[in-house]
Parts: sequence; C-alpha cells; structure tokens
Amino acid sequence: MNCEVCQLKELEVEHFEIREVLRCILHTILFHRALGLVRPKDVDLELFEITYVQCGDMELERKIDEKIDQFIDRVEKHPNKKNQICLSFYEVKNKHATWFTNKVERLFWEHWYINLNVMQHPKTPSGKSHHSKLVVDPGVEARGARRAALEASLRDVLFQIIKFVNEKKDHVPSIPNVEGIPFPYEITISRCT
Amino acid sequence: MDLHSYPRGENGRLEQILNQFFLKSLHMILDSRVPANRPSSRYGEVKKSDKWFNLVLGDRPSAMDNLSFWNRSFMEPMVIDIILVQESLKSSLEHSSITTLGSEMVTDTVIERWVVQHEHRRSVGHSISEASYKKTYKKSILLLRSIYSMLRLLPAYKAFRKRGSSQNCVFDINYKVCTYAVPFSREEDELMKRHNFIPIVTQQGALSVSSTYRKDLSDFIQDAFVSFPSEIITDYVGSPLTEPIRPFPTYSSEKGVRATSFPITGSQPTSSSALLRRHSWTSGIHGDASQKNQPYSGSPPLYRSPYEHSSSPTDVYGHRFQNQRSPACQKAAIDDLLSPPFSPSPSPSPPTYLYSGNPLHSRMRSETPPMSIPHPMMGRSPRYLSPNLSDPNRHSLPPLSPRSTKNDPSSQESSSGIRSIRKSDSLRTGEPSPGLTNLGPRVSRDSKEDSGRFSGPLSSSSSPRVGFSRSSSRLSFQDDFGDGDFTYPFIVDDVDPPDFQSSQNLDGKNKSEDSSQASSTAKRSQDAAVGVLVHMLRTAPPLRPTSSYTSQSSENEVEREVGTASEFFKPRDTTDALEELKAYKEMRDQLVSKSAARTSIREKD
Repeated sequence: MNCEVCQLKELEVEHFEIREVLRCILHTILFHRALGLVRPKDVDLELFEITYVQCGDMELERKIDEKIDQFIDRVEKHPNKKNQICLSFYEVKNKHATWFTNKVERLFWEHWYINLNVMQHPKTPSGKSHHSKLVVDPGVEARGARRAALEASLRDVLFQIIKFVNEKKDHVPSIPNVEGIPFPYEITISRCT
Repeated sequence: MDLHSYPRGENGRLEQILNQFFLKSLHMILDSRVPANRPSSRYGEVKKSDKWFNLVLGDRPSAMDNLSFWNRSFMEPMVIDIILVQESLKSSLEHSSITTLGSEMVTDTVIERWVVQHEHRRSVGHSISEASYKKTYKKSILLLRSIYSMLRLLPAYKAFRKRGSSQNCVFDINYKVCTYAVPFSREEDELMKRHNFIPIVTQQGALSVSSTYRKDLSDFIQDAFVSFPSEIITDYVGSPLTEPIRPFPTYSSEKGVRATSFPITGSQPTSSSALLRRHSWTSGIHGDASQKNQPYSGSPPLYRSPYEHSSSPTDVYGHRFQNQRSPACQKAAIDDLLSPPFSPSPSPSPPTYLYSGNPLHSRMRSETPPMSIPHPMMGRSPRYLSPNLSDPNRHSLPPLSPRSTKNDPSSQESSSGIRSIRKSDSLRTGEPSPGLTNLGPRVSRDSKEDSGRFSGPLSSSSSPRVGFSRSSSRLSFQDDFGDGDFTYPFIVDDVDPPDFQSSQNLDGKNKSEDSSQASSTAKRSQDAAVGVLVHMLRTAPPLRPTSSYTSQSSENEVEREVGTASEFFKPRDTTDALEELKAYKEMRDQLVSKSAARTSIREKD
C-alpha cells in the first residue's frame, strides 16, 4: 500500500488566527477520513467567511484542541520559526509482542503537512522597540487586505484537501463498520527546516 | 425506493448503491442550497435509509418529497440547477432569464449546476464481485464527503445562508431537477467555473459528479441590501418616543415586521407582501396565485424537461410544489426561516457581558474604604424623572430600554431601593418619611460610578415587568417626597433570595415582605445582592460615633427595619468593627461564590 503525502499550501497567520485556521484544516481532513458513520456538523469560522465541516465527534474535537494548544505553546516558545503540523493515518501491524519489542508496528498510509508561518506582533500597544523582528502595525486597510488574502488562501487549502481526497482513493484501507474515524491517526508538531 | 425492483445479486447491489448515491447527492445539494421549510433532524435514532454512505443527513428536504421520478432509474443524468430569483426594476444581466410581472421584473439566474450521472458501459461477461462493489461503495463514501465539503465552499452557499437568515431578502433561491443540462450561453460560460470530481469507475461504467458555478455572486447578494431605501426607525427600543411598557417587537407580529423591515420595492411594502415574498413556497416566486398552474412563464423552452409533461409539474419545479402548501405550513415555514440554521443570532442584550462583570466591579467598590458622604440634596428634582436628559454621562451609555430608562431613578438605587419601595409603602400608610435624607448619601457616590449605572438597566432587563412596576412605585415615591437626587449603582429586584436575607439578618417584617415579593418575581440579580452589601457598608457606623451620624440614624428609622439591628447606636470599639468586617467579608465570599455558580449555569445554558 502506498503512503500518500499531501503538502498543503503554506499560510501566513497571526497568532490569534492560529486556532481557527488549524481547527478548520484539521477537521476538514478528518471529516474526509472519518469514513465511519458520522453526523456532519457545520461550523462557521469567526474570523473568516468560511464554513467547514466537523465529524460531530466530541472526543475528536477535544484531541484537536489539545494539539492546537500544544502548537500555540510551541510557537510562543520558538517565535519567528515556521512550524508544521503533521496529521498521519496508519494501520496497526504486528499487534503481537515479539521477543525484542512490545511495540506495534505502524504502517502509515497518508501524511498531511500543514505549514504555518506565524507572524509575530507586539502583544501590548506600546511594544518593545528593541525587538526588531516585531511586525509594525500596518494599518486598518492593510490588515483587512491581509485578512482577505488569508481567507482566500485558506479556501485554497480546503480546495486542495478536497482535490487530494478525490484524486487519491486507492490507498485508503477498507472501512470497518464503526462510527466516526475508523482509522487510527496521530498529530505531530515539528519545525520546518 | 423500491428495493424489489433491483436485480438480484451483485448487479443489484451496484444499482442500489448508484441509486442511493443519486438520492444522497440530491439530498445534500438541496439541503445546502434551498432554504428549508422544516429543520432536518440529524440526532436521535438514525433511519436505515440515512445510514447510506455513513453520512447522516437527517430528514429529506420537503423539496424531495415530490421528486418521485428518480425512483425509476439512474440511467439518465440528474441535473440540478440552483436558480437565483431576483425581483427588481432593473435587469442586472442580459443573459439571465427575465420575466415581467406587472411593474416588476423577475430575473432568474442559474448560479450553480450539479450533474450526477452514471455512464453506463456494458460489462463484458464478468460478474461484479463483492470486492468490486465494496470498493465502489468506499469510493462513493469519499466522493460524497468531498461534495458535502465543496457545497459549503462554493459562492452559492453564501447566498443560501443569506436567504435563510434574512427576512427581507430581495432574492429567492429556487431549484430545478431534470435529466439534461441546458447549455449556458457564451456570456454565462465566461462567468462560470467548472469543477469535475474524479469519476468512480465501476464494472458497469463510471459514476461522475461535476459542478458548474458562478465565481462571483457579490452583485446578487449585495444588491439585496443596496436596493433597500433607508428608513428611519423611530420606535426603536430605548427611544424616548416609545411607551414605557412596550413589548419587544416579535417577528410574528405585523408591527414587529414593519419595525425592522425595509420596503422591498418602491411599491407598497405591506407586511403581507413581505411575508409572501419571503417564501417562494407560498404562492409561487412572484407572489401571484394565478401562476400556480401555469407553466413557468418567461423561461426559455429549453428549461423544460420531458418529465414535465409526463409527471406532475410539482415533480420538476420546487416552487410549484410549494404553491400547494397550506397556510398552516406557510406559518410554520415563516417560523422555521426565522430560526438561524447554524450560528446563533447574537444576543440582543450586549450588556449581558457587562452584567456578569459588574458584580465583581461593584464588589471591588464595596471593598474601598468609606468615603465622605455629602449631605443629601433636598427637594424635588426633575433630574431623575427624565434621566435621559439629566446626566451628560448618560449620553455615552448605550441606549437604555424604556423600562430601564424609567427605572433609572430607581436603577441608581442600591439594595436600599428595595427598602425604598417598602418605604413608600410604609410612608403611604402614614409613617414618617425619613427616607429622603437617608437616600441622599448615595447621590454623590453614585454619580461618580457611571459604570454602576450599567448594571441598573441590565439587571432590570432581566426581570422587566418587575423593574417597571418598581420604577413606577419609585417615581411616585420621588414625586411625593422629592427625593430624586439619590442614585444607586444597582438595580434591586423585589425579592431577595431567602439565603441572602438570612445572611443580612433582616427582621421578620421584612422577611415577610420579601417573601411575598419573592413569590412575585422569578430571580434576584447579583447586582441587587451586591447593592445590599454596599448599602450596608455605606450605612455602617463609623468606628467613632459622630453627631451627624446620630442625626441620620434617627431619621433612618425605616432603614433600620431592613438594615442591621439597633447595635448601630451602640458605641463601638475596634473589636466590634473587626467582627463586623469579618461578617462583611463572609457575605462577600458568599456572594462571589453564588455569582460564580450562576455565571457557570448561564454559560451552560
């Protein structure tokens, strides 16, 4: 079975936009991979005029929010770095423990890489002038243009997800008869090199 | 769907999958494009038919009820056109279908087209294996997920949301389902964009879905609001022209509709026409009952499909189906459209946030050291009889509700407001009126606490009827006794909760009064409780008894009924003061815990 990789378009986001953007992207991907019985839930973004779809699984929502919190913490600890979230789906092989290892083998069949470039802004209006990498407040119009551009980019990312899901279907394992997400997955946070 | 009509064996399974795919895709498209007359319930027990493709969509839209011809076969393509119907005096686009009805022009524009088809290919000998149809089923699940997401990303979704949430939308959304796609003109083609989903190859052919959509609908959607002439609303909530008791306009009442609606066209914007126009289901798109049984006049003949003649007209055109809805359904449709489908409407009372914050703020204030309280102003002052005009600070505040406006004299009261009402009652029975000077000490303090005034109207809004009745009694009290200058930061409800009363050590008379008031009011505001505490702190005797306080205390005979006991008059030492301070702190902690509990309850709600 092939392992398909999808590198999503990089998005430049501000700190306060991280949560919404990541929620939108992660839930959209997971909705397309939650091939068990789902009750789709439409969610409107607050910062953008975009509606995305969730599986309606509370446990999944909680896990995603936890990961987003971890991502935000990482961004705060390592500012001015491009960060990446990887959502991977795998199959579990070799469930039986061997002599040498108790670990189960994970056979990944899909990786989704979400690339975010978080812009840094001064948290207080006064700001510290010696912080040379701070983004100067561009003004209302420029901010609006940037927001519109980000919305368009986010929409492009969602179209990209839909296109990828449509084009690559053969590598998806057969669907067990369960509700929600039938495939195990993991979300990892890494730094772009 | 008639399961028995499918051939047996794996071929039958495949055909079943394909047929269900057609139905599911039609369900999804109509659900997200055509405003629903009945909400779809996705919760509760899932019907077996809804489990297809592991995607629970809930009840099928009413538009599908009469689309029976799809049960026949999936051999022909299913073409779903989403049509935006605009009634305007100008024609915005040349290539749109334009009809004229009276003085209005109706523009129909196909803003989106979905084509679902299975190109049948004669299979060469092989029978369809179980693995094959399972693979087809899995790919169908993936495809439907993609369609579901795509439906929310395309521009027509925004139009659907606007249509569903706005009562006074100039456009309507209609649909047409037929078996062939009318080609677009060149101009239309240039404005459209096409997206083809990857077809699913089956052993009998290929299942494909494509979408052609207008890239930009801003002309249609923005015109919905540009064409409305501006109208000055004079009877807004909080207007001084409104009556004190004025129910909030409800959507179901004509008055309420008129208050918030704009004339859709220049001619006779009556509420009845507004109601008709909101729902193309009632009597057709154009609101003309005579068009019920007529063919879709003005549309090009190409729009008609063979099925129009062979089946009932309602099979093809959604609006025709809707024409036959009973008036009862119309009203239900109105109510359904009023409820926001996805995001709750913003709270009509933005001060709610301030309300939750105020008790803390007031509590902080209550903890400040006692200030020197000037002598109360005597005499009648019209200041608080017309609170909108009196205090310049008030102009910076958000417009108050009429009840809160009228309540302002009382809204400026702290918890002693309750007692002022009781005072008024007692005064009318002939008791002396020491309340004037008693209420005075709060004047200057409250005038400085502008933010405290927020909590007044806010908490009064939580129990409007009670607030108004109290204000009227307070007004009469002020009129009678000229005590219009005192201000209280908190509105006080009529009833203290029993536990709060006991902590206040009220005597039995007040408890009986409060209990009687408790029976008449629903709940007590946090601000009122804090107001009681603040009042107590204010009226707390100084550590060193003074002559002025002694004179006040003699005039505060009625206050003593509701305040602490006669121990006010005893000379006090530091120990007593510390004990009292401890008691106040305990009360404060209780109030904070209660407010936190109430806040958490409200958040859950």
